[in-house]
Amino acid sequence: MKKRLWLALSLFVIGALVLAACQPAATTEAPTPTQAQTSAAPQPTTPPKPTEAPPTSTPSKATVVVITFPQEPDNLNPLYTNMWFSTITHAFWLRGLWSIDDQGNAVPEIAAEIPTEANGGIADGGKTITIKLNPNAQWSDGTPITADDFVFTYQMTISPKNAVASAYPYKEQVESVEAKDEHTLVVKFKEPFAPWITTLFASTVATGALPPLPKHILEPVFEKDGTLDNAQWNHAPTVGVGPFVFKEWESGGHILLVRNDKWFGPAPKVDQIFIRIVPDDASQIAAIKAGDADIGTFLSFADAPAVESTGVAKAAFDLGGFQEGWFLNMDPKTAHPAMQDVRVRKAIALATDRFKITQDLLYGKTEPPATFWDSTSPFGDPSLKAYPYDPEQAKALLDEAGWKDTNGDGTRDKDGVELKLRYITTDRQLRKDVQAVVAQMWSKVGIGADLVNYSSDVFFNTFGSNGPLYTGESDIAEYSDGPAFPDPDVAYWLCSEIPSAENPEGTNGQHYCSNDLDALFAQQVTTADLEARKAIFAKIQKIMYDEVVYIGMWRDPDVWSINKRLTGVRFSGASPFWNVTDWTVSP
Amino acid sequence: MVNYIIRRLVQAIPQLLIISVILFVLMQAFGDPLATLGARTPPRREDKERLRRQLGLDQPVYIQYLVWLVGNDWMKIDLDGDGVRETPGQRKGVLRGDWGTSLVTRTPVVDVIGERLPNTLLLMLPSEIIIIIVSLFVGMYSAIQQYSFFDNLVTGVSFVGYSMPIFLVALLFMYLFGVNFKRWGLPYLPTVGMFDPQAGRTPQQIVLHMILPLASLSVISIAAYSRYVRSSMLEVMSQDYIRTARAKGLREFLVVMRHALRNASLPFVTLVGLDLPFLLAGAVVTERIFAWPGMGRLFVDHTARSDYPVLMGILMLTAVAVIVFQILTDVTYSFLDPRIRIE
Repeated sequence: MKKRLWLALSLFVIGALVLAACQPAATTEAPTPTQAQTSAAPQPTTPPKPTEAPPTSTPSKATVVVITFPQEPDNLNPLYTNMWFSTITHAFWLRGLWSIDDQGNAVPEIAAEIPTEANGGIADGGKTITIKLNPNAQWSDGTPITADDFVFTYQMTISPKNAVASAYPYKEQVESVEAKDEHTLVVKFKEPFAPWITTLFASTVATGALPPLPKHILEPVFEKDGTLDNAQWNHAPTVGVGPFVFKEWESGGHILLVRNDKWFGPAPKVDQIFIRIVPDDASQIAAIKAGDADIGTFLSFADAPAVESTGVAKAAFDLGGFQEGWFLNMDPKTAHPAMQDVRVRKAIALATDRFKITQDLLYGKTEPPATFWDSTSPFGDPSLKAYPYDPEQAKALLDEAGWKDTNGDGTRDKDGVELKLRYITTDRQLRKDVQAVVAQMWSKVGIGADLVNYSSDVFFNTFGSNGPLYTGESDIAEYSDGPAFPDPDVAYWLCSEIPSAENPEGTNGQHYCSNDLDALFAQQVTTADLEARKAIFAKIQKIMYDEVVYIGMWRDPDVWSINKRLTGVRFSGASPFWNVTDWTVSP
Repeated sequence: MVNYIIRRLVQAIPQLLIISVILFVLMQAFGDPLATLGARTPPRREDKERLRRQLGLDQPVYIQYLVWLVGNDWMKIDLDGDGVRETPGQRKGVLRGDWGTSLVTRTPVVDVIGERLPNTLLLMLPSEIIIIIVSLFVGMYSAIQQYSFFDNLVTGVSFVGYSMPIFLVALLFMYLFGVNFKRWGLPYLPTVGMFDPQAGRTPQQIVLHMILPLASLSVISIAAYSRYVRSSMLEVMSQDYIRTARAKGLREFLVVMRHALRNASLPFVTLVGLDLPFLLAGAVVTERIFAWPGMGRLFVDHTARSDYPVLMGILMLTAVAVIVFQILTDVTYSFLDPRIRIE
């Protein structure tokens, strides 16, 4: 009986091994072409056949660049995902009209040129954008890209039959998308829409930046299924437009992209991009140190010096608009009564030595910003400086506001209420360390701290799901956020975004409402002229700075690692892999 | 025997139904699947409202459970938000074989789980076999040569091994054999993943990449199980029938293997029987550290996104496995120990 058990078990194991080794690695074709060998050095005794072309100088092995992602994309169809890790892959295989390079300039991709007022691309006060497409643009299967592909993409985004992740700005702000002719696209907005350059069918990480979908592949699917939600292309997009084309995606394991011969731009110098999903931070560092990862993504500050010390790779920082910051609750119903007083809020900023925190906990690799837009150049206001560290001034302000320590317990109080502030954040270790340091700093000026941590899926829950951010269960909430980078637009401080039972998805958790600010925000999104828009943001930032609505902790750049065998890599915050065609692997 | 098995299987049906209700209700206490959508910035308000309606998440809990169980193609849903239910639903429900679509990847749950299950089995089955074989031998040898040098060494190493958390063992192995051995010029093992992209997805590559995760998984369990085997062997070896067998002149090898081991293995069978269903659930920490695309990681990643269709699928699969393996364990008992009879 035991023998039979062992036999059955071993057969099972062998069966599983055979199954796993034989299973097609993913949703499409068969083994990767890395096995493709050209013949080695020709045998000296066998004369080369005269009819054969002489062997080319391609290496016998394809060059593969390995990139590690800590999170797996949920969907490769841009319609169905908001994940940064999905959107950044589009630079490889699904380019849009233009990208934004590392200097912040728009670089045409499928568009023949960037629309400007001078070339007639922008008309009607910014309400009509006309884009001329590159007539050589073609999909990876050779089908030409025309304006109809963009019209189709627009229709799919706004169709109620598709449960898309975001229909912004195509549903509310865009009035129409039409193909004037095969290579001319005309987009009309209801109001002039300033963020058009970063979102309109663009290759950036902004929400709403939607590259075109191949109409000849997806329209039949939509007509047959009635929706694109379950299209095979969403997980196996074998037709795309970019220097590389999708080859395979093994769920949880890797995504493989290979050279696209039909790419009409400059040809890439590497043959394949292999994206491996490595969720654990320590494992990613081990892989980088062992040379198993050419590009590491989303490292933490602490890892940068560790990686550089091995000499195998170097760290690269680039601003993606994100900043770690404090969002102060000003709802009279839920916040501590002291939070209503701007002097107390100022005192909180002055009592926190954010400079020391960035020096000690972040290795001096970053610094505190002055406003929410410091990392979204050129909209940060250089005349505003980060709140200084001035505990004496903080104490003076608190005294002035009437908060004094009357009962000698070390914490100030007023009318019988202790000045103990609820300071919440997620459960990342770095944030817990910051909380501990901050509590110490506050105790020096007599502010008490109630430190709370949540797991991030609970932390970001909406008002409707009792999320602490939006139900006011905090006085100070810390997390990393930015505007609609690379555009400065943001909705967090609009009066209409205040969450409530009637408005459960509202994003204004701070309950900050100012008619002046509302008017300015409404104005900036329709102001296409850069200088005029910067001036509006200068006014917005001054109001928020004086009112101490947001306290910036540190600029949160994306931290990458680049193996020393890979050269030519320049990261752009808006389109990280924009210059992949320049990457070179030295053997 | 057959009646017993049939009876147990029939009992399992209401059991599974109750389990599914409890799990579904508990899952509502997880976060909101639309809170972040995995993005770095929260989704826009109008998108969340629309998605909530389109994905059926605005319905009350009992309606959502009903839809999960029997589908919604017998009722109409409101897709375009005008308050009027006009479109018939597409879902057939679990009872008709439709486990739903993942809220994260928008692919059928069956595909999502099916893609990861072979990878997990590939790791867990060999590890279980290694654990069983090594624990039996180490435990038996320790018991027979009690208090010898080998026994004391194994005891010490077991205590150390058992106290180490799995992530520490896994990371130590990775850094030692992956990073440092390479730096010191010694033959080294790969760090993460199932294969090396330059070499391709060959069986040799997979086996090479399996070595470190298998070692990490096995070390701690062997440390624990060898102690169980040792103590139950010691108990059995002091029984009268062992003395009888020796008195009859049987070779020591036969005494141990045929008489002692069979009786000592009963508690061990219980442990292994309890372990087997969780092979399907995967090793969460090991898979995460070695970037092995298995069920454990699937569960953790989708829990973070509150993807309840996939989570229900995995949990119900585990529940079925537990029930099946419990029946199997009971049946195996009756074979191993003739005193246990199944009515």
